[in-house]
Amino acid sequence: MRARTRTWFSFVVIASLLFIVASRFGIFDPLQNATLNVSAPIESGLRNATTPLADFVNNLTDTHHLSKENQSLRQENEKLQAEVATLRQTQTELSDLQQFLNVRGQHPGDAFVEGHVFAQDGSNEHREVTIDRGTSDGVQEGMIVLTRQGSLIGSVTRALSDISWVTLISDQLSAVSAAVQSSGAQGVVAGSLNGTMTMEFVAATADVKEGDLVVTSGVGGHHPAGELIGQVTKVQATAQELFKSVEVHPLADLSHVENVIIMTSFVPPDTGSP
Amino acid sequence: MSSAAGLFAVVFAALAQVAILPSFSIFGVQPSIIIVLLVAWMSIRGQREALFLIPAAGFVLGLLDGQPIGLAMLALSPLLLMTEVHELRLVDSDFVPALLITAVATVVYETTLLVSLAVKGESVPWLASVTDVLVPAAIANVLLLLPVYAVIRFASLDLRRPRAI
Repeated sequence: MRARTRTWFSFVVIASLLFIVASRFGIFDPLQNATLNVSAPIESGLRNATTPLADFVNNLTDTHHLSKENQSLRQENEKLQAEVATLRQTQTELSDLQQFLNVRGQHPGDAFVEGHVFAQDGSNEHREVTIDRGTSDGVQEGMIVLTRQGSLIGSVTRALSDISWVTLISDQLSAVSAAVQSSGAQGVVAGSLNGTMTMEFVAATADVKEGDLVVTSGVGGHHPAGELIGQVTKVQATAQELFKSVEVHPLADLSHVENVIIMTSFVPPDTGSP
Repeated sequence: MSSAAGLFAVVFAALAQVAILPSFSIFGVQPSIIIVLLVAWMSIRGQREALFLIPAAGFVLGLLDGQPIGLAMLALSPLLLMTEVHELRLVDSDFVPALLITAVATVVYETTLLVSLAVKGESVPWLASVTDVLVPAAIANVLLLLPVYAVIRFASLDLRRPRAI
Protein backbone atom coordinates (compact mmCIF):
# COMPACT_ATOMS: atom_id res chain seq x y z
CA MET A 1 0.00 0.00 0.00
CA ARG A 2 1.35 3.38 -0.96
CA ALA A 3 2.35 5.82 1.76
CA ARG A 4 0.31 8.55 0.08
CA THR A 5 -2.94 6.61 0.51
CA ARG A 6 -2.12 5.67 4.09
CA THR A 7 -1.37 9.30 4.95
CA TRP A 8 -4.53 10.54 3.27
CA PHE A 9 -6.59 7.85 5.02
CA SER A 10 -5.15 8.87 8.41
CA PHE A 11 -5.85 12.51 7.67
CA VAL A 12 -9.46 11.81 6.69
CA VAL A 13 -10.06 9.65 9.78
CA ILE A 14 -8.65 12.31 12.10
CA ALA A 15 -10.64 15.03 10.31
CA SER A 16 -13.81 12.91 10.63
CA LEU A 17 -13.30 12.48 14.35
CA LEU A 18 -12.67 16.21 14.78
CA PHE A 19 -15.81 16.96 12.77
CA ILE A 20 -17.86 14.61 14.96
CA VAL A 21 -16.61 16.37 18.09
CA ALA A 22 -17.20 19.80 16.53
CA SER A 23 -20.67 18.68 15.48
CA ARG A 24 -21.46 17.70 19.08
CA PHE A 25 -20.70 21.27 20.11
CA GLY A 26 -22.96 22.68 17.40
CA ILE A 27 -20.14 24.32 15.46
CA PHE A 28 -21.58 23.15 12.15
CA ASP A 29 -25.17 24.07 12.99
CA PRO A 30 -25.23 27.38 11.05
CA LEU A 31 -23.63 25.72 8.01
CA GLN A 32 -26.02 22.78 8.22
CA ASN A 33 -29.03 25.04 8.67
CA ALA A 34 -28.03 27.13 5.64
CA THR A 35 -27.35 24.02 3.54
CA LEU A 36 -30.68 22.47 4.42
CA ASN A 37 -32.52 25.71 3.75
CA VAL A 38 -31.13 25.62 0.22
CA SER A 39 -31.54 21.88 -0.29
CA ALA A 40 -35.00 21.48 1.29
CA PRO A 41 -36.96 22.59 -1.81
CA ILE A 42 -34.79 20.38 -4.02
CA GLU A 43 -35.22 17.40 -1.70
CA SER A 44 -38.93 18.05 -1.46
CA GLY A 45 -39.17 18.20 -5.25
CA LEU A 46 -37.20 14.99 -5.64
CA ARG A 47 -39.41 13.25 -3.07
CA ASN A 48 -42.60 14.37 -4.77
CA ALA A 49 -41.29 13.55 -8.22
CA THR A 50 -40.28 10.01 -7.29
CA THR A 51 -43.19 9.10 -5.03
CA PRO A 52 -45.22 7.51 -7.86
CA LEU A 53 -42.19 5.50 -8.95
CA ALA A 54 -41.52 4.44 -5.38
CA ASP A 55 -45.14 3.39 -4.98
CA PHE A 56 -44.91 1.40 -8.18
CA VAL A 57 -41.67 -0.32 -7.22
CA ASN A 58 -42.83 -1.02 -3.69
CA ASN A 59 -46.20 -2.32 -4.84
CA LEU A 60 -45.27 -4.20 -7.97
CA THR A 61 -48.41 -6.26 -7.72
CA ASP A 62 -50.52 -3.16 -7.32
CA THR A 63 -51.21 -0.09 -9.39
CA HIS A 64 -50.49 3.48 -8.38
CA HIS A 65 -54.22 4.13 -8.12
CA LEU A 66 -54.74 1.26 -5.70
CA SER A 67 -51.75 2.37 -3.69
CA LYS A 68 -53.19 5.88 -3.32
CA GLU A 69 -56.59 4.46 -2.48
CA ASN A 70 -55.00 2.24 0.13
CA GLN A 71 -53.17 5.21 1.59
CA SER A 72 -56.41 7.20 1.68
CA LEU A 73 -58.27 4.34 3.36
CA ARG A 74 -55.47 3.94 5.84
CA GLN A 75 -55.68 7.61 6.75
CA GLU A 76 -59.44 7.35 7.08
CA ASN A 77 -59.06 4.25 9.23
CA GLU A 78 -56.49 6.02 11.36
CA LYS A 79 -58.85 8.97 11.78
CA LEU A 80 -61.74 6.69 12.72
CA GLN A 81 -59.55 4.79 15.16
CA ALA A 82 -58.59 8.10 16.72
CA GLU A 83 -62.27 9.00 17.06
CA VAL A 84 -63.02 5.61 18.57
CA ALA A 85 -60.14 6.14 20.96
CA THR A 86 -61.49 9.56 21.91
CA LEU A 87 -64.98 8.19 22.52
CA ARG A 88 -63.69 5.31 24.57
CA GLN A 89 -61.57 7.66 26.56
CA THR A 90 -64.47 9.95 27.29
CA GLN A 91 -66.53 6.96 28.35
CA THR A 92 -63.75 5.78 30.61
CA GLU A 93 -63.43 9.15 32.27
CA LEU A 94 -67.18 9.50 32.69
CA SER A 95 -67.18 6.15 34.42
CA ASP A 96 -64.46 7.54 36.64
CA LEU A 97 -62.40 4.38 36.20
CA GLN A 98 -59.10 5.67 34.89
CA GLN A 99 -57.76 9.22 34.79
CA PHE A 100 -54.36 8.67 33.24
CA LEU A 101 -55.49 8.55 29.61
CA ASN A 102 -56.26 12.03 28.34
CA VAL A 103 -57.68 13.04 25.04
CA ARG A 104 -56.19 16.07 23.39
CA GLY A 105 -59.58 17.64 22.65
CA GLN A 106 -60.09 18.13 26.33
CA HIS A 107 -57.06 20.39 26.58
CA PRO A 108 -57.83 23.66 24.82
CA GLY A 109 -54.40 24.99 25.81
CA ASP A 110 -52.65 22.66 23.36
CA ALA A 111 -50.74 24.42 20.59
CA PHE A 112 -49.53 22.91 17.33
CA VAL A 113 -47.29 23.75 14.39
CA GLU A 114 -47.66 22.01 11.07
CA GLY A 115 -44.56 20.81 9.28
CA HIS A 116 -43.61 19.11 6.03
CA VAL A 117 -41.24 16.17 5.75
CA PHE A 118 -38.64 16.75 3.06
CA ALA A 119 -36.08 14.06 3.82
CA GLN A 120 -35.48 10.86 5.70
CA ASP A 121 -32.37 9.44 7.25
CA GLY A 122 -30.34 7.76 4.56
CA SER A 123 -29.01 4.93 6.70
CA ASN A 124 -30.48 1.62 7.78
CA GLU A 125 -29.63 2.19 11.44
CA HIS A 126 -31.91 5.15 12.11
CA ARG A 127 -35.56 5.89 11.40
CA GLU A 128 -35.68 9.63 11.30
CA VAL A 129 -37.34 12.28 9.17
CA THR A 130 -36.32 15.87 8.54
CA ILE A 131 -39.00 18.55 8.72
CA ASP A 132 -39.08 22.18 7.61
CA ARG A 133 -39.80 23.62 11.05
CA GLY A 134 -37.23 24.63 13.65
CA THR A 135 -36.64 26.67 16.76
CA SER A 136 -37.71 29.84 14.94
CA ASP A 137 -41.17 28.25 14.66
CA GLY A 138 -41.25 27.36 18.34
CA VAL A 139 -40.08 23.78 17.89
CA GLN A 140 -37.87 22.38 20.62
CA GLU A 141 -36.15 19.08 21.23
CA GLY A 142 -38.39 16.60 22.99
CA MET A 143 -41.66 17.87 21.52
CA ILE A 144 -43.90 15.14 20.23
CA VAL A 145 -44.90 14.84 16.59
CA LEU A 146 -48.24 13.57 15.32
CA THR A 147 -49.84 12.85 11.98
CA ARG A 148 -52.68 15.02 10.77
CA GLN A 149 -54.97 12.21 11.87
CA GLY A 150 -53.65 12.53 15.41
CA SER A 151 -51.50 9.48 16.03
CA LEU A 152 -48.00 9.68 17.42
CA ILE A 153 -45.13 9.26 15.00
CA GLY A 154 -42.15 10.37 17.10
CA SER A 155 -40.33 13.13 18.91
CA VAL A 156 -38.08 15.99 17.89
CA THR A 157 -34.55 14.90 18.75
CA ARG A 158 -32.65 17.77 17.20
CA ALA A 159 -33.75 21.26 16.24
CA LEU A 160 -31.89 23.94 14.32
CA SER A 161 -33.24 27.36 13.46
CA ASP A 162 -35.38 26.29 10.49
CA ILE A 163 -34.99 22.50 10.42
CA SER A 164 -35.70 19.70 12.86
CA TRP A 165 -35.14 15.97 12.97
CA VAL A 166 -37.88 13.70 14.23
CA THR A 167 -36.94 10.26 15.50
CA LEU A 168 -39.79 7.90 14.62
CA ILE A 169 -41.35 5.60 17.20
CA SER A 170 -40.12 2.65 15.11
CA ASP A 171 -36.46 3.69 15.55
CA GLN A 172 -34.47 1.22 17.58
CA LEU A 173 -33.58 3.96 20.08
CA SER A 174 -37.20 4.97 20.60
CA ALA A 175 -39.02 3.96 23.77
CA VAL A 176 -42.46 5.34 24.61
CA SER A 177 -44.28 4.69 27.87
CA ALA A 178 -47.57 3.22 26.80
CA ALA A 179 -50.79 1.66 27.96
CA VAL A 180 -53.35 -0.61 26.40
CA GLN A 181 -56.42 1.56 26.23
CA SER A 182 -59.06 -1.04 27.01
CA SER A 183 -57.40 -2.60 30.06
CA GLY A 184 -54.90 0.01 31.18
CA ALA A 185 -52.05 -2.53 31.02
CA GLN A 186 -48.81 -0.61 30.99
CA GLY A 187 -45.57 -1.14 29.14
CA VAL A 188 -43.01 0.51 26.89
CA VAL A 189 -43.40 0.59 23.11
CA ALA A 190 -39.95 0.19 21.61
CA GLY A 191 -38.75 0.29 18.03
CA SER A 192 -36.22 -2.04 16.48
CA LEU A 193 -33.53 -2.22 13.85
CA ASN A 194 -35.97 -3.58 11.26
CA GLY A 195 -38.69 -1.05 12.12
CA THR A 196 -41.11 -3.35 13.93
CA MET A 197 -42.49 -2.22 17.29
CA THR A 198 -43.03 -4.22 20.43
CA MET A 199 -44.64 -3.34 23.72
CA GLU A 200 -42.25 -4.48 26.39
CA PHE A 201 -42.61 -5.04 30.11
CA VAL A 202 -46.29 -5.95 29.84
CA ALA A 203 -47.10 -8.08 32.85
CA ALA A 204 -47.92 -11.71 32.07
CA THR A 205 -51.22 -11.28 33.87
CA ALA A 206 -52.21 -8.16 31.94
CA ASP A 207 -55.33 -8.22 29.79
CA VAL A 208 -54.06 -7.59 26.25
CA LYS A 209 -55.51 -8.95 23.05
CA GLU A 210 -55.09 -8.46 19.32
CA GLY A 211 -56.82 -5.34 18.04
CA ASP A 212 -56.45 -3.39 21.28
CA LEU A 213 -55.41 0.21 20.85
CA VAL A 214 -52.18 1.36 22.45
CA VAL A 215 -51.81 4.95 23.67
CA THR A 216 -49.13 6.88 25.48
CA SER A 217 -49.38 6.52 29.25
CA GLY A 218 -47.57 9.71 30.17
CA VAL A 219 -45.35 7.84 32.61
CA GLY A 220 -41.90 9.41 32.74
CA GLY A 221 -43.08 12.74 31.39
CA HIS A 222 -41.58 12.38 27.91
CA HIS A 223 -45.01 12.18 26.26
CA PRO A 224 -48.43 13.49 27.23
CA ALA A 225 -50.93 10.79 28.11
CA GLY A 226 -53.55 9.52 25.70
CA GLU A 227 -51.78 9.97 22.35
CA LEU A 228 -52.63 7.17 19.98
CA ILE A 229 -49.64 4.97 19.06
CA GLY A 230 -50.94 1.87 17.33
CA GLN A 231 -52.79 -1.39 17.51
CA VAL A 232 -51.83 -4.72 19.05
CA THR A 233 -51.23 -7.24 16.29
CA LYS A 234 -49.82 -10.20 18.18
CA VAL A 235 -49.70 -11.34 21.79
CA GLN A 236 -47.52 -14.17 23.03
CA ALA A 237 -47.27 -15.39 26.58
CA THR A 238 -45.65 -18.38 28.18
CA ALA A 239 -46.17 -19.58 31.71
CA GLN A 240 -42.49 -19.25 32.56
CA GLU A 241 -42.07 -15.63 31.57
CA LEU A 242 -42.82 -12.56 33.64
CA PHE A 243 -43.79 -10.45 30.66
CA LYS A 244 -45.94 -10.89 27.60
CA SER A 245 -44.56 -10.40 24.13
CA VAL A 246 -46.80 -7.83 22.44
CA GLU A 247 -46.32 -6.67 18.86
CA VAL A 248 -47.71 -3.25 17.99
CA HIS A 249 -48.39 -1.91 14.53
CA PRO A 250 -48.34 1.88 14.19
CA LEU A 251 -51.57 3.39 12.94
CA ALA A 252 -49.64 5.90 10.88
CA ASP A 253 -47.76 4.76 7.78
CA LEU A 254 -44.29 5.61 9.06
CA SER A 255 -42.61 4.85 5.76
CA HIS A 256 -44.50 7.59 3.94
CA VAL A 257 -44.87 10.45 6.36
CA GLU A 258 -45.43 13.73 4.53
CA ASN A 259 -47.17 16.27 6.75
CA VAL A 260 -46.78 16.31 10.49
CA ILE A 261 -48.12 18.23 13.47
CA ILE A 262 -45.71 19.24 16.21
CA MET A 263 -47.27 19.74 19.64
CA THR A 264 -45.47 22.86 20.79
CA SER A 265 -47.40 23.17 24.04
CA PHE A 266 -45.81 20.03 25.46
CA VAL A 267 -42.15 20.24 26.43
CA PRO A 268 -40.87 17.32 28.45
CA PRO A 269 -38.76 18.23 31.48
CA ASP A 270 -35.81 16.19 30.19
CA THR A 271 -35.21 16.62 26.47
CA GLY A 272 -33.12 13.51 25.93
CA SER A 273 -33.87 10.52 23.77
CA PRO A 274 -37.52 9.94 22.90
CA MET B 1 -15.69 14.14 -16.92
CA SER B 2 -13.55 15.38 -14.11
CA SER B 3 -13.44 15.70 -10.36
CA ALA B 4 -15.88 18.60 -10.67
CA ALA B 5 -18.36 16.31 -12.41
CA GLY B 6 -17.68 13.77 -9.70
CA LEU B 7 -18.42 16.33 -7.02
CA PHE B 8 -21.68 17.23 -8.75
CA ALA B 9 -22.58 13.54 -8.93
CA VAL B 10 -21.76 13.13 -5.25
CA VAL B 11 -23.97 16.07 -4.24
CA PHE B 12 -26.83 14.75 -6.33
CA ALA B 13 -26.34 11.25 -4.91
CA ALA B 14 -26.36 12.61 -1.36
CA LEU B 15 -29.61 14.47 -2.07
CA ALA B 16 -31.05 11.30 -3.57
CA GLN B 17 -29.90 9.31 -0.56
CA VAL B 18 -31.99 11.37 1.87
CA ALA B 19 -34.86 12.37 -0.44
CA ILE B 20 -35.46 9.43 -2.78
CA LEU B 21 -33.85 6.24 -1.50
CA PRO B 22 -35.82 6.08 1.78
CA SER B 23 -38.93 5.52 -0.34
CA PHE B 24 -37.38 2.47 -1.95
CA SER B 25 -36.71 -0.72 -0.11
CA ILE B 26 -34.80 -3.75 -1.34
CA PHE B 27 -34.85 -6.78 0.98
CA GLY B 28 -36.15 -4.50 3.72
CA VAL B 29 -33.23 -2.08 3.57
CA GLN B 30 -32.49 1.06 1.64
CA PRO B 31 -29.52 0.85 -0.69
CA SER B 32 -26.71 3.39 -0.45
CA ILE B 33 -26.25 5.15 -3.75
CA ILE B 34 -23.30 7.03 -2.26
CA ILE B 35 -21.26 3.87 -1.68
CA VAL B 36 -22.24 2.49 -5.07
CA LEU B 37 -21.36 5.73 -6.85
CA LEU B 38 -17.97 5.97 -5.16
CA VAL B 39 -17.06 2.36 -5.93
CA ALA B 40 -18.16 2.70 -9.55
CA TRP B 41 -16.27 5.98 -9.87
CA MET B 42 -13.16 4.44 -8.35
CA SER B 43 -13.33 1.45 -10.70
CA ILE B 44 -13.90 3.45 -13.87
CA ARG B 45 -12.25 6.80 -13.24
CA GLY B 46 -9.37 5.61 -11.11
CA GLN B 47 -7.92 6.16 -7.69
CA ARG B 48 -6.91 9.80 -8.02
CA GLU B 49 -10.44 11.19 -8.32
CA ALA B 50 -11.83 8.70 -5.80
CA LEU B 51 -9.41 9.83 -3.10
CA PHE B 52 -10.90 13.31 -3.34
CA LEU B 53 -14.54 12.27 -3.76
CA ILE B 54 -14.77 9.80 -0.85
CA PRO B 55 -14.26 12.31 2.00
CA ALA B 56 -16.26 14.92 0.07
CA ALA B 57 -19.19 12.51 -0.18
CA GLY B 58 -19.01 11.80 3.54
CA PHE B 59 -19.00 15.49 4.37
CA VAL B 60 -21.91 16.33 2.06
CA LEU B 61 -23.96 13.41 3.36
CA GLY B 62 -23.21 14.54 6.90
CA LEU B 63 -24.58 17.99 6.09
CA LEU B 64 -27.83 16.54 4.79
CA ASP B 65 -28.64 13.78 7.26
CA GLY B 66 -29.35 14.01 10.95
CA GLN B 67 -26.20 12.32 12.17
CA PRO B 68 -23.12 14.18 13.41
CA ILE B 69 -21.09 15.63 10.56
CA GLY B 70 -18.04 13.43 10.16
CA LEU B 71 -19.76 10.14 10.95
CA ALA B 72 -20.58 9.34 7.33
CA MET B 73 -17.08 10.54 6.39
CA LEU B 74 -15.57 8.17 8.95
CA ALA B 75 -17.75 5.29 7.78
CA LEU B 76 -16.71 5.88 4.15
CA SER B 77 -13.02 6.35 4.89
CA PRO B 78 -12.09 2.62 4.59
CA LEU B 79 -13.00 3.02 0.92
CA LEU B 80 -9.79 5.04 0.62
CA LEU B 81 -7.80 1.92 1.49
CA MET B 82 -9.91 -0.15 -0.88
CA THR B 83 -8.82 2.04 -3.77
CA GLU B 84 -5.41 0.42 -3.31
CA VAL B 85 -6.94 -3.05 -3.60
CA HIS B 86 -8.51 -1.99 -6.83
CA GLU B 87 -5.19 -0.64 -8.12
CA LEU B 88 -3.56 -4.06 -7.62
CA ARG B 89 -5.47 -5.32 -10.70
CA LEU B 90 -5.69 -8.87 -9.40
CA VAL B 91 -8.15 -9.81 -12.13
CA ASP B 92 -8.49 -8.62 -15.68
CA SER B 93 -11.72 -6.78 -15.04
CA ASP B 94 -12.85 -3.56 -13.43
CA PHE B 95 -16.34 -4.76 -12.71
CA VAL B 96 -15.69 -7.94 -10.69
CA PRO B 97 -13.53 -6.18 -8.07
CA ALA B 98 -16.16 -3.42 -7.96
CA LEU B 99 -18.81 -5.95 -6.96
CA LEU B 100 -16.60 -7.28 -4.18
CA ILE B 101 -15.56 -3.82 -2.98
CA THR B 102 -19.20 -2.70 -2.92
CA ALA B 103 -20.18 -5.60 -0.68
CA VAL B 104 -17.21 -5.11 1.65
CA ALA B 105 -17.58 -1.32 1.76
CA THR B 106 -21.28 -1.67 2.60
CA VAL B 107 -20.58 -4.03 5.48
CA VAL B 108 -17.83 -1.75 6.79
CA TYR B 109 -20.03 1.35 6.42
CA GLU B 110 -23.05 -0.16 8.20
CA THR B 111 -20.84 -1.69 10.89
CA THR B 112 -19.25 1.69 11.57
CA LEU B 113 -22.70 3.23 12.08
CA LEU B 114 -23.67 0.38 14.40
CA VAL B 115 -20.43 0.78 16.36
CA SER B 116 -21.19 4.49 16.71
CA LEU B 117 -24.49 3.52 18.33
CA ALA B 118 -22.70 1.14 20.68
CA VAL B 119 -20.16 3.84 21.56
CA LYS B 120 -23.06 6.13 22.48
CA GLY B 121 -24.13 3.47 24.97
CA GLU B 122 -27.04 2.04 23.00
CA SER B 123 -27.55 -1.69 22.91
CA VAL B 124 -27.00 -3.02 19.42
CA PRO B 125 -28.51 -6.39 18.44
CA TRP B 126 -25.42 -7.57 16.59
CA LEU B 127 -26.76 -10.88 15.37
CA ALA B 128 -29.98 -9.33 14.10
CA SER B 129 -27.92 -6.57 12.50
CA VAL B 130 -26.11 -9.12 10.34
CA THR B 131 -29.30 -10.70 9.04
CA ASP B 132 -31.50 -7.60 8.96
CA VAL B 133 -29.05 -4.95 7.80
CA LEU B 134 -25.52 -5.97 6.82
CA VAL B 135 -26.22 -8.84 4.42
CA PRO B 136 -29.37 -7.36 2.79
CA ALA B 137 -27.68 -3.96 2.40
CA ALA B 138 -24.62 -5.55 0.79
CA ILE B 139 -26.81 -7.44 -1.68
CA ALA B 140 -28.98 -4.38 -2.38
CA ASN B 141 -25.93 -2.24 -3.10
CA VAL B 142 -24.39 -4.86 -5.35
CA LEU B 143 -27.63 -4.89 -7.34
CA LEU B 144 -27.68 -1.09 -7.50
CA LEU B 145 -24.09 -1.13 -8.74
CA LEU B 146 -25.17 -2.63 -12.07
CA PRO B 147 -27.09 0.42 -13.42
CA VAL B 148 -24.83 3.00 -11.74
CA TYR B 149 -21.72 1.34 -13.14
CA ALA B 150 -23.27 1.24 -16.60
CA VAL B 151 -24.16 4.95 -16.47
CA ILE B 152 -20.70 6.05 -15.34
CA ARG B 153 -19.07 3.70 -17.84
CA PHE B 154 -21.13 5.23 -20.61
CA ALA B 155 -20.37 8.77 -19.44
CA SER B 156 -16.64 7.93 -19.33
CA LEU B 157 -16.34 6.60 -22.85
CA ASP B 158 -13.76 9.27 -23.64
CA LEU B 159 -11.32 7.44 -21.36
CA ARG B 160 -11.15 4.46 -23.67
CA ARG B 161 -10.90 6.35 -26.93
CA PRO B 162 -7.38 6.88 -28.28
CA ARG B 163 -6.47 10.53 -28.02
CA ALA B 164 -5.28 12.45 -31.08
CA ILE B 165 -1.70 13.67 -30.88
